Amino acid sequence: MNTFGFLLGLATLFIIGLGFIWVIRGERYFGLLWWPYILGLGFVLIVLSLFLHNDWGSALSGITGASLVWGTTEFKEQAVRTELGWYPFYAKKIQPPFASIIKKWKAPHL
Amino acid sequence: MMNTLGLIAGLSTFLGIWLGHVGVRKIEHAAPKLWLPVLLALLLGLICEYLSLQIETIWLSTVFGILGVTLLWDGLELMRQEMRVKKGHAPANPSNPRHINFILEIPAATVQDFLDRDPIGQPVSPDKALQLFPER
Repeated sequence: MNTFGFLLGLATLFIIGLGFIWVIRGERYFGLLWWPYILGLGFVLIVLSLFLHNDWGSALSGITGASLVWGTTEFKEQAVRTELGWYPFYAKKIQPPFASIIKKWKAPHL
Repeated sequence: MMNTLGLIAGLSTFLGIWLGHVGVRKIEHAAPKLWLPVLLALLLGLICEYLSLQIETIWLSTVFGILGVTLLWDGLELMRQEMRVKKGHAPANPSNPRHINFILEIPAATVQDFLDRDPIGQPVSPDKALQLFPER
């Protein structure tokens, strides 16, 4: 029996679960416009995973990176949910660097 | 030598979530009886986890382990999606007999997809939210 994939699956469940929390809180206090930075961090973790020789380290880095990339695609809908009052709306969001440029880009959504 | 295991694990995670995200919405929308897809997702998830435990090849064990948990989660999300339709947080399907009952019996249920627009940066009332959608 090989428990590696199974245990990694449990870790994935936990990391995706964290995704629900950080997308909701992150959108509330920081806002949709942070998406390029989170997307970038996600890709950095995926590239980093290629250079980690420990299988657990590489896999967890890849999974966390992929979860960050997915999270950015959830930001747009989460922003609409707060406007509808389905989640608390917080007006004084902390703006990211280059917010005015990022505003012109289309936020990812799948 | 590069270690591609993280890339494989990351791709499995992303594709598993993507498939679930789109699949759960579509299947809940169309299915006349929800217990069938729920059972199927849970069963497929368990089969993936069983395969993950049996297969010695590490990257295959990884793929099945990750896809398995996303499928198990999808089973749960199918039921949560039905709750969202009842609350009017996801659009009801008038050609689905299960949804027709929601539309007729639950005032909050609606065919409008309230998430299908860009954010405007401020809270909106339900009436004003409806005006933000283009006519279809």
